[in-house]
Amino acid sequence: MDALVAEDVGRRYGDTVALDGVSLRVGAGEVFALVGPNGAGKTTLVRALTGTTDATGTISVLGESPRAVNRERLGLLPQDFTPPERLTARELLAFYAGLYDDARDPADLLATVGLDEAAADTHYENLSGGQQRRTCVGASLVNDPDVLFLDEPTTGIDPAGRRALWDVLEDLADAGTTIFLTTHDMAEAERLADRVGLLADGSLLAVDAPAALVREYGGEQVLRVGTDATEVPALDYAADLADGTLTVQDVPPTAIGEVVADLEAAGVAYDELTWTEPDLEDVYMALAGDDSPGSEGGGLA
Amino acid sequence: MSRTRRIRATAVAGWHSFLRRRTAVFFTFLFPALIVLIFGALVETSGTGGGLFAEPPSWYVAGYLGVVVLFTPLSRLGAEVARTRDGNRFEKLATTPLSRAEWLVAQLLVNVVVIGLAAILVLGLLVALTGAQIVIAPATLLVVPFVVLGVALFCGVGAILGSLADSQDGAVAASNTIAIPLLFLSEAFVPLSMLPDWLPTWLSPLTYFSRGVRAVTYDGGSGTTLATFNAPDPLANLAVLAVAAVLFLALGAWTLPVTD
Repeated sequence: MDALVAEDVGRRYGDTVALDGVSLRVGAGEVFALVGPNGAGKTTLVRALTGTTDATGTISVLGESPRAVNRERLGLLPQDFTPPERLTARELLAFYAGLYDDARDPADLLATVGLDEAAADTHYENLSGGQQRRTCVGASLVNDPDVLFLDEPTTGIDPAGRRALWDVLEDLADAGTTIFLTTHDMAEAERLADRVGLLADGSLLAVDAPAALVREYGGEQVLRVGTDATEVPALDYAADLADGTLTVQDVPPTAIGEVVADLEAAGVAYDELTWTEPDLEDVYMALAGDDSPGSEGGGLA
Repeated sequence: MSRTRRIRATAVAGWHSFLRRRTAVFFTFLFPALIVLIFGALVETSGTGGGLFAEPPSWYVAGYLGVVVLFTPLSRLGAEVARTRDGNRFEKLATTPLSRAEWLVAQLLVNVVVIGLAAILVLGLLVALTGAQIVIAPATLLVVPFVVLGVALFCGVGAILGSLADSQDGAVAASNTIAIPLLFLSEAFVPLSMLPDWLPTWLSPLTYFSRGVRAVTYDGGSGTTLATFNAPDPLANLAVLAVAAVLFLALGAWTLPVTD
């Protein structure tokens, strides 16, 4: 059974189209990451799915409409969420736990999100950015939700804190929690998500597993050679030369030695070799590109 | 039971948050104390034969209590709603079992405690500094429901202002804009006889607070110069206040935002 179903979901703010016929399904226990430029409609889609904003189309969460679903089963970390700042992390988790009939022990939760005793008894406003975000994630876990919505959960956290939170989310996913997260961090999406959706200008441009998206849209593996050559040497791979860089297209890692041998055989001197394979960021750039509000936009033709 | 648990958790969090905003605590209690000191002790509200403060000190007890019942919940709720919205807390709460009405009731409970304490402070200062003689009778206990319902009423209005204003500053400015005219046009400090006949003071819910509290704390005294004191029925005023409180609380809960 799908935990989340959205069919032709739309939302307008005046003349601005925030969501334009978005359809997607997220299976129970799946981790789904939504990526896209600022203003793409990610937060609006989260709000539509959680029933905190009106939207056209059909939305189902755990088989119910968003506003009818049992709220004991949902967890949400909104974007730019700031809880009451003069409460300690422990008090905040106790507060949110008090809103549910069946809540986790705040002390256990503090350990789950990696907050030690000192941090637990510190006022939220005095915690570090990473500790604050862990507290907020903890607040979204107090009811051990079946479906967890996280709107940019690791924004503003240092790399170590981000990885610690990823571990928490991976444990949740392993335990069967359905996670719908939005992020600007492609590494986060690639590591956590079973599937990734790319949203731009309110439209879902592509949805698939990260590896499949990379295969489909990421482009080729490329070998870049720093050289003073003046013309493209004869190679088994397509290549072009510009600004002292010879770019050899679609070179698998096992063929790097072969290309280098061909260069040397052709008498091409080189001082730098860089091999890159496409990743989700290349997919993002290929599909959304400079699709931030006010730009001409990229996207699929 | 679940509802009680949710309201309790929210009220406890709200109470702790309030206590730790020390400037808020300080000025919440300093403001009514200053009003009593300035208007009750410095300007002196003893009968002078004319002017704004011409009634016996006891006549103004309802007015001073009206100050705390009116100003504090209006500005506190307005700012709290704006603060909660700005931090996207309403969006978070909308996905929990806590309803908007329960959130507002929790805020009301915090305000009842805060304003109850402020009211006790004001009464103490009034007696100590102005010599106000408060009627002590079983009916005097009706001051408690008057204060509770007054707080509820203005918590509702504050929630509406906070929902409509786009910032904490805006909410506080709006609450002051409403509170100050209400204070002087609701028989709190200015007797009806000093106001134009055409002024519909009956439209102000604070009028019923003033009349009702005065009916149970003031016996008509001696030396009344302007206010014709025909003790009104406190229960009738309490009933009107109750209806207004329920109405504005419901309206306040309804207008609370979910997202920004």
